Amino acid sequence: MQRQRSLLALIVVLVIAAIVAIARLPISLGLDLQGGSQLTIQVQPTAEIPQITDRELEAVQSVIENRINGLGVSEPVVQTVGQDQILVQLPGVSNPEQAERVLGGTAQLEFRTQRPGTEAQLFAEQQVRLGLLAKQQELRATNNTTEIQQNQEAIERSNAAIAQLFESTNPPLTGRNLEDAYGQPTQAPNNWEVGIRFDSPGAELFAQLTRDLAGTGRSIGIFLDNELISAPTVGPQFAQTGITGGSAVITGRFTAQEANDLAIQLRGGALPVPVEIVENRTVGATLGRDSIQRSIYAGIGGLILVLIFMVVYYRVPGIIADLSLCVYALLTWASFALLGVTLTLPGIAGFILSIGMAVDANVLIFERTREELRAGKSLYRSVESGFYRAFSSILDSNVTTWIACAALFWLGAGLVRGFALTLALGIAVSMFTAITCSRTLMFIAISLPSLRKPELYCPNLPTVRRAEVAR
Amino acid sequence: MKLSINQSRKLWWAISAVAIITGIAAMLISWQQIGAPLRPSLDFVGGTRLQLERDCSQPNNCAQPIDITAVREVLAAQGLANSSIQILGQEQQGISIRTSTLDVEQRTQLQDALSQRIGAFDPQSTQIDTVGPTIGRQLLSSGLLALIVSFGGIIVYISLRFQLDFAVFAITALLHDVLFTAGVFAILGLVWGVEVDSLFIVALLTITGFSVNDTVVIYDRIREILKVNPDRSISEIVDDAVNQTLARSINTTLTTMLALFAIFLFGGETLKNFALALIIGFICGAYSSIFIASTLLSWWRERHGQRLATQSTAVIDSPPEDT
Repeated sequence: MQRQRSLLALIVVLVIAAIVAIARLPISLGLDLQGGSQLTIQVQPTAEIPQITDRELEAVQSVIENRINGLGVSEPVVQTVGQDQILVQLPGVSNPEQAERVLGGTAQLEFRTQRPGTEAQLFAEQQVRLGLLAKQQELRATNNTTEIQQNQEAIERSNAAIAQLFESTNPPLTGRNLEDAYGQPTQAPNNWEVGIRFDSPGAELFAQLTRDLAGTGRSIGIFLDNELISAPTVGPQFAQTGITGGSAVITGRFTAQEANDLAIQLRGGALPVPVEIVENRTVGATLGRDSIQRSIYAGIGGLILVLIFMVVYYRVPGIIADLSLCVYALLTWASFALLGVTLTLPGIAGFILSIGMAVDANVLIFERTREELRAGKSLYRSVESGFYRAFSSILDSNVTTWIACAALFWLGAGLVRGFALTLALGIAVSMFTAITCSRTLMFIAISLPSLRKPELYCPNLPTVRRAEVAR
Repeated sequence: MKLSINQSRKLWWAISAVAIITGIAAMLISWQQIGAPLRPSLDFVGGTRLQLERDCSQPNNCAQPIDITAVREVLAAQGLANSSIQILGQEQQGISIRTSTLDVEQRTQLQDALSQRIGAFDPQSTQIDTVGPTIGRQLLSSGLLALIVSFGGIIVYISLRFQLDFAVFAITALLHDVLFTAGVFAILGLVWGVEVDSLFIVALLTITGFSVNDTVVIYDRIREILKVNPDRSISEIVDDAVNQTLARSINTTLTTMLALFAIFLFGGETLKNFALALIIGFICGAYSSIFIASTLLSWWRERHGQRLATQSTAVIDSPPEDT
């Protein structure tokens, strides 16, 4: 009885913790439920770059991230998938066409000359832009879509104003001419710089551009997709020849991180690799809400039917099973919240299905208990061996389902993984609740005199027992 | 009631054989008609599906149901004549169009042309799915691979926990369920144009898990009886094991069905076919565990002796002391 009490206390604590977790941590909804676009972007190899390596993929990813920032979406997700794909999730995006157009193009990097007499203006515009970008960071956290959009438009105006202050060289010096960019430490400690290297036509153009700007205080405008990412100036010592030889370093007070970020952005722009959107799954916000509602109805409906069935068929154990099913539902939901599972439509299906399967462990145990009762054992012994003997079946059957889940999680993608994870988690929790919760409640029930009647556990016991004896 | 499943096992095998052969025949016919055993959705072959709903908050926009011939004309004008069109919803204010893969420009052009002809659409309830052909192939191959890997894993696990012949017949029953479900969907594809998407592969995998689950419970009981009475005839043991676990098989299948029917009836459109596949597969799984996996095992052991090595599992299975 002592053990039962402490287990019961444990279960109560877990249930309270689960309720707190559910109340505190919101479950993030997949795009199919909250609406939004999921795009898979494939990086295409070209004659110059026949093989996409991690380095290229990283560079393209940074370009994509840049562009997504330009879309003004809150909480975007950008991940690389496999060797040559990038997965982009844009929750709540209202204009998928714009997103596709913006994300689908090849990166455009260009080195431009600042127009004479715009120094003060550039400084002022850059301050404005920094302010707007900082504000955007704050807004992203608040999830206020309209304000994010408005601020984004302001950023775009600011970008356009900055772009006005620069002009292209003739012919233009673009990413095509840039061979490499890399972060490197300088002689001084804790200071980094970014090295760049051009091909030979690029080297000539760069020499000309730096000669024009050297010592004037005007800067080289490095634009990625028409957005200024760096504006270094050139020292007066290059006024005669410009920076020749095709190599240069951009200095400044860079940290290692900053230098690498800029180098990656430059490389991304230098890549002549085209990208293609190979998959687009967009769900309108209303459609998503509709699916949630229907799935929740389905879940509750299924659960109620199962609860009724169990009480009707199994009597007292049925009530116990129902209690532990409710505990099961709470714990599973809480573990989704704790593990940060993103809930998708198939995920909800996995959850509903796992409710149906969670009953299985209880059914196995109760059927076993009934058998032992029919064989003439005492109530206590029957319950005990019901749990004991059912365990290996429960374990074996759950492990086989886990194997299927593992295969799905390992090899599947996107929505499929959500299903596998929720089903696997659900089965794990169901094993726990069947073994601890049902068991504890069962032993408490049979310790109460008013509930210690075998017929409450196994209806029409005597007749069945006669049949057993006859056999 | 007591079932003697071994008495009429030829009958059960015949029923299953007929069902599976019918399914395979449907897959072959389907192969001749559409080049695939099951009607693949764009998840596997690529393409674009546009689901649009008219914006009924605008005045006079939803005066009458959408005219499918108008939609067809618009598509023909865009050079997309061989697309499939469906009118959706009770008020027939929605359309679903499936075309070859469209890029952004083509898609926007199509959407504009449609809304000019038919009326404004509500972007909040628009659904766009575009899957490139390479992605489709990836989804299909990774799905099939997942299926094969989990088969392998299950064989290894059951061989370890039981014996190899148990594993082989569990897998036979499992293949039976997968083939049967696929066969039903091949027929549904031929008759009503039901398509299978990546969730169908998920359904097949869940069916395999459930089917084996059911089989294992019976096997577990066979092993238990066999250990206590190693000299009883195997078919009697199997019959007993099946009968002792029958109530559990029925109840578990029933409770799972309650949950699945809830999804099937109230769940979203996406989940309908998924739930249907599971319903078919789970019922079939319960049948095959009782009538196929068990009868095959007793037939095999009758011919090859019924010794069972129990050492590996002795620790977990030793029953509690009875007083």
